[in-house]
Amino acid sequence: MADSRFTGGKMLGTGIGLRVPHYDHILREKPAVDWFEIISENYMVEGGRALAVLDSIMDQYQVVMHGVGMYPGNGNGLDMDHLRRLKKLIKRTNTPWISDHLCWGSVDGSVSHDLLPLPFTFDVARKTAENLRIAQDFLEIPLAMENISSYAEFTMDEMTEWQFLSEVCELANIGILLDVNNIYVSSFNHGFDPMDYVNFIPSNRVAQIHIAGHSRYERFIIDTHDHPVIDPVWQLYARAIERCGSTATLLEWDASIPSFEEVWQEAKKSEKWRNNQLRENEPSKNYEAV
Amino acid sequence: MKQCEPWQKDFFQALTLPLRGSSRKATELHPSDEGHSVEFFSIAEKWIKPNQVLSAAERLELYHRQYWYRILDSLAEDFPVLRKMSGDQVFWDLIEQYLLTRPSQSFTLRHLGEGFAVFLSKSEILNNQQRRWFEAIARIEYAYMESFEALQSALPQAADLENKMIGIQRHVRLLHLPVPADLCVDWEDFAPAYHCPHESVSVAIWRRPSGSSGIVRIPNEEACFLSTLAGGVFLTEFFTQLPEPHPEAAQVSSWFADWQARGWLCIKGEQGLNAFDIDEPWQEKQAMSSQAMSFPQP
Repeated sequence: MADSRFTGGKMLGTGIGLRVPHYDHILREKPAVDWFEIISENYMVEGGRALAVLDSIMDQYQVVMHGVGMYPGNGNGLDMDHLRRLKKLIKRTNTPWISDHLCWGSVDGSVSHDLLPLPFTFDVARKTAENLRIAQDFLEIPLAMENISSYAEFTMDEMTEWQFLSEVCELANIGILLDVNNIYVSSFNHGFDPMDYVNFIPSNRVAQIHIAGHSRYERFIIDTHDHPVIDPVWQLYARAIERCGSTATLLEWDASIPSFEEVWQEAKKSEKWRNNQLRENEPSKNYEAV
Repeated sequence: MKQCEPWQKDFFQALTLPLRGSSRKATELHPSDEGHSVEFFSIAEKWIKPNQVLSAAERLELYHRQYWYRILDSLAEDFPVLRKMSGDQVFWDLIEQYLLTRPSQSFTLRHLGEGFAVFLSKSEILNNQQRRWFEAIARIEYAYMESFEALQSALPQAADLENKMIGIQRHVRLLHLPVPADLCVDWEDFAPAYHCPHESVSVAIWRRPSGSSGIVRIPNEEACFLSTLAGGVFLTEFFTQLPEPHPEAAQVSSWFADWQARGWLCIKGEQGLNAFDIDEPWQEKQAMSSQAMSFPQP
């Protein structure tokens, strides 16, 4: 189980990403969802309906912030204006932790709006960890880094991705948001055993797990978040739970978004996998029967 | 700012090179049989490791496609009226040229169109008339985005009008346009523009209590008043400072009543309650970025 310093002492169950097509349903029906994850950048605005909806949802639910624009691997360093906007939103949401991606994304002020891969070198690990230490100190809240899906590897790699993720998070002393779908996608694209990845990561740092679907093409997989979770990803999830214990779990569904009920039913499948695994871990404890 | 890593500079440079080949054919950009440039291959070979099924360039191309598909879709979505007026071919040419010369400078895709109107005013693929109209349309369409996410300042009560500095809410975007581009919303194509008098107009775009946007034409005299008010004034002094001739008192009262009813007035410097009728179902597109997007079949 994650050290409480990586989760702000908060134990969360199953959540889903808060997405615009579900706003009306959530506000009207108030479904029994444990928590919602928000894309931080969508609410880094001065005012307007988006913030009003967020405030209303926060009256009923725990919200956790997940960013796509910190870019801790940027060679130019961190964008302090971005961190200031993030901190303002952190104060508004009372999120127990925040997460973003172990990636880079902009050069000299020009932004890719993508989660771009880093070379797995000791030098890049050191520089990225330095940025993350600055970010966590500035934001004054537990920070977790998510492993991205990737489609390319660099010629100068010196270690595996799972070694790199662990190295950066240890050096920066931050948590991990383990995305088991991303592990699967990258394992297909780069030809490694995804279980090696899950088996290696420092389990005490895993503050949260992401699950999602993807799109498979003939020669590669793209992380589109527009399908249900496939069985091999559930297997990775089960192994992650075996190693990490009960961990806040979130389903991402970002394109071709179906009804709220369909997304929520998919997310709830994680409870079956989680409870089965936890029962195997600790047969003496009473986990909800399924 | 720290020095950028050479591999990042090269990688980003490759992303911003024009779309080519099958990647381009999956978009609405005019098709081209031209392959990737020598520069693209050279960057790929230098930094990207091939695997058993994909070459270095093919792997880099996956990112190249995603970069372009994301920004093309996002910008196109924000300028639907311009697309209708310019026609698809010109529209996509303009969008591509704009994005080639001006990569995103903001953390959010909502701001991608920030410089589009100025770009259109100088575009060499447009004639003078198109430049004038398209710039005006783009200014209107970008103002919707600015209005959508603007700060809500405190609404003044009757007593505040006497003793507090009054201004205009930031979500009210007052535009002075060289042509009546607000008419284009109702036009099916650009043909009516050729017969439309080139009169300058003022329009205001604002955010309603539901969060949806409104647009209204503002007569010149009223627009002049609003512009002065936007900077913040004490109303007791305001009327003594106005240039002659003053509008009729009844006219001014009527304007103030309209502005107050629409929620345009604010107390300068006081943040207001960001309250909306969120129970009202949302009909409009919500300008939000996301890391994920669909990926056309290669």
